Amino acid sequence: MSKKIGIVRFLGTNCDRDIEQAVTEMGRKVDYLWFRDTFNISEYDALVLPGGFSYGDYLRTGALSARAPVMASVREAAEKGMPILGICNGFQILCESGLLPGVLVRNQGLKFKDEWVQISIQTSATPWTSQYKVQEKIKVPIAHGEGCFYADRETVMRIREQDQVWCTYDVNPNGSIYDIAGILNEKKNVAGLMPHPERAFYNWMGSSDGRRFFQWLS
Amino acid sequence: MAQLIEKFKKYRLNQKEYEKICELLGREPHGVEWGLFSALWSEHCSYKSSKIHLKKFYNKNSRVIVSEGENSGVIDLGQGERISFKMESHNHPSFIEPYQGAATGVGGILRDIFTMGARPIMLSNYLCFGDLDAPRMKSLVQGVVAGISGYGNCVGVPNVTGFTDFHSSYNKNILVNAFALGVLYPGEELALSKAQGTGNDVVYVGAKTGRDGIHGASMASESFDDKSASQKPTVQIGDPFFEKCLIESCLEVIRSGKVVAIQDMGAAGLISSSFEMASKGAVGLELHLDQVPLRDGSLTPEDILLSESQERMLLVCEPKNFEYIQGVFNKWGLEATRIGKVLDQKNMRLMWHGELLSDIDPDLLVENAPRYDRPYKKYSPQNRNQIQLEIFDVKETLEDIMTCDFGSSKKWIYDQYDQRVGSQTARDCSQSIGVVRLEKSKRALGLALGCRPYLMRLDARIGALDAIYHPSLQLASKGFKALAVTDCLNFGNPENEKIMTEFVTSVESISEACEKLDAPVISGNVSFYNETLSQNITSTPATGVVGLRESIENIPLENFCKERSSVYIVYQHEIETGGALEQLYKNKISATAGDLTHTDQFIETIREVSRFALSTRVVGKFGLLYAATLMSSDTLELHMTEKVDFLNTNQDLFTERLYEVLFEVERSQGFENELQKRNIKFQKLGSVQKISHGTKLLKQKYLNSFEEKV
Repeated sequence: MSKKIGIVRFLGTNCDRDIEQAVTEMGRKVDYLWFRDTFNISEYDALVLPGGFSYGDYLRTGALSARAPVMASVREAAEKGMPILGICNGFQILCESGLLPGVLVRNQGLKFKDEWVQISIQTSATPWTSQYKVQEKIKVPIAHGEGCFYADRETVMRIREQDQVWCTYDVNPNGSIYDIAGILNEKKNVAGLMPHPERAFYNWMGSSDGRRFFQWLS
Repeated sequence: MAQLIEKFKKYRLNQKEYEKICELLGREPHGVEWGLFSALWSEHCSYKSSKIHLKKFYNKNSRVIVSEGENSGVIDLGQGERISFKMESHNHPSFIEPYQGAATGVGGILRDIFTMGARPIMLSNYLCFGDLDAPRMKSLVQGVVAGISGYGNCVGVPNVTGFTDFHSSYNKNILVNAFALGVLYPGEELALSKAQGTGNDVVYVGAKTGRDGIHGASMASESFDDKSASQKPTVQIGDPFFEKCLIESCLEVIRSGKVVAIQDMGAAGLISSSFEMASKGAVGLELHLDQVPLRDGSLTPEDILLSESQERMLLVCEPKNFEYIQGVFNKWGLEATRIGKVLDQKNMRLMWHGELLSDIDPDLLVENAPRYDRPYKKYSPQNRNQIQLEIFDVKETLEDIMTCDFGSSKKWIYDQYDQRVGSQTARDCSQSIGVVRLEKSKRALGLALGCRPYLMRLDARIGALDAIYHPSLQLASKGFKALAVTDCLNFGNPENEKIMTEFVTSVESISEACEKLDAPVISGNVSFYNETLSQNITSTPATGVVGLRESIENIPLENFCKERSSVYIVYQHEIETGGALEQLYKNKISATAGDLTHTDQFIETIREVSRFALSTRVVGKFGLLYAATLMSSDTLELHMTEKVDFLNTNQDLFTERLYEVLFEVERSQGFENELQKRNIKFQKLGSVQKISHGTKLLKQKYLNSFEEKV
């Protein structure tokens, strides 16, 4: 593996440099992929959609970004099976674009919430959690106002049966259905979660439990 | 004459100032000039009551690059890294419209930082509210916190620490002070606001100009009456998404080296920014007001000059670079518009569809603004002898303070702020100082806010010295050396001799402490007229003290972390006060005589010995027992087993002795030797043991009680 990791940047993305820090720490080079452009997917090994407030969360979180030109290339990469990770606002964008099922709505309690949570890894079927044991408990922070995962009953049943529930909260902070913190697509190459593994990367941050999300890149 | 009095009222100028204007101009002011003088001679813009005193600040040492005359101060950290930081008030607008007032306070302070070419990496807030039961107060708390959260989270700068107090003196004038800090990494150029180069373009970037915030600066320079809610139109409306794009685009153009000068449009909008740029550069500008992009086509030239619409900047560039600059702003979804030129003669020419509205020397408004030496008295210490605070039941008292508004956890507030965006946060708002990592040199930058209003109510000198010493001690207890200071001086009516005396005392005391610590004041802001119907707030000189530590690793923790380790109290007692508990129970405050004269050496020693500590905490409000209880972790707490000289009565567990620091230590011998060598007093209190059920329950109450009330 020697190709670059693409970091998709929208107007209002604000965790882009955080992802660059995590990825370069693993010895990989990054490219920023601008929301107005499409890109050649063969130049990349993986894509990350970082957190932030793309378009200021206007209309609905992720709704405008999901329709940006860059998403045509992201979709193409998803279809070809490239590993794609969406964190926080990136997760919201992947749901809005239909690459992941369900939707993220306002937190129960209606307030933005920044806190450390414990999550349980439910599957290692994606490279991002290939370094964790199933049911392993890790400490990572959340920071979101609209992180309550919701899908209709049928969809929820389906993603649970198909091993698409990626990680769950041990204590539910936002009202997510079935305590869901992150999910995968059916092929397991597109992954999205609300917690920020890149903010639990070094011990001095309070936890380095999230570091192994990026370990497969090294 | 009646017409003239009407104008004085509208433009908030007085007879004397009018006479001075006529003298400077050699004639009466006409047209837009009234608006120019009103804005630039307002207290908010001109610092007319404070300037002669602010000059006394200790503000230079070998680290200081900028400490006056720019949007924010800058210091050199070595290794090519420089930081810029500042704290600013948004008190008046936040009381009128809490969400937008607080939000635009955050936006404004961020612009002061990235205008310097520094990328913002830290935010913080110093908040003083009235009694929670006072009219509107709960909604003010909710609105202010939501405003800071809504704006700060979206722009993606972590909020790493804060201060919150509640007292009836703020019932009609709350304090909302926002702090921001930015960094310039090696090779990144500082940007300045000095306009230069005849024929260069003056370029307007960012949001369009609207009707919001017109006369905001002069509103913020007046006391409130009972109709202050009618001032709503003078409050600005913010858009953090726009600000985020503005941060990125401004830093990109500044980094390109194609910007000659840049200045944000803050208080008094376009007037203030353009006149200051011209005055600093000793040049003139020709501005075509009809070229300014408008949200509302019916705005008059005066409205355009005075509007405080948010997220706007003014920059100067060479004409050949305009296209490049415009391209960068367009990329980020923003517009850049040429609105004028730099002139060779020092005159501000304001044009409106080809008509010359005003042609005036900018120095008349900026440099020749009035300076007042308001009456004040020489400082004399308040009468102090001893404190009388009887405590009958220690447990009950501890529960009272752990659950009162001032003493309870502010988790409900801080959980609404993103404290980790940027992935450099090492200590968040749950700790006594905020810490972020400098990503290039991997060093740690610490921030602690100062000024405990109850000490200001005791004695302005003690309160102001403490506003520097207490945060510096907090930094030292984690191994940080205080480097520089910003202040936000919140006071009542400066025309009141008592208030002015407290102001002058505060400035002199802060300066004295800063000089002793060699931590210069590099930026700041004054907010006067925090007064409603002749009721003044507690004089509140809030401070932000920034410190540096060579390593981000092994910073002492805030909570006990090792069973059976020893706990010490290290102290240097200069004053003892009933402090926050006396305030809570008796609504007054007393103290023993004394001054804080040797604190600087104590602080340095604490920093030196912090390397022995597993965890530390400065004993602050409510005294020793409160601090020790806060240090307990989910599983561990302090068992006090040793006899301590100064802990004899129940009262001694709650009074505040300036200063004391708690240390959890494993290698006791080395720690004790080091302190003995330095002649600093210490005593062992006991050891760390498993937590009791009672303490666990109490900590739960501490964490939840504020949320239940608000």
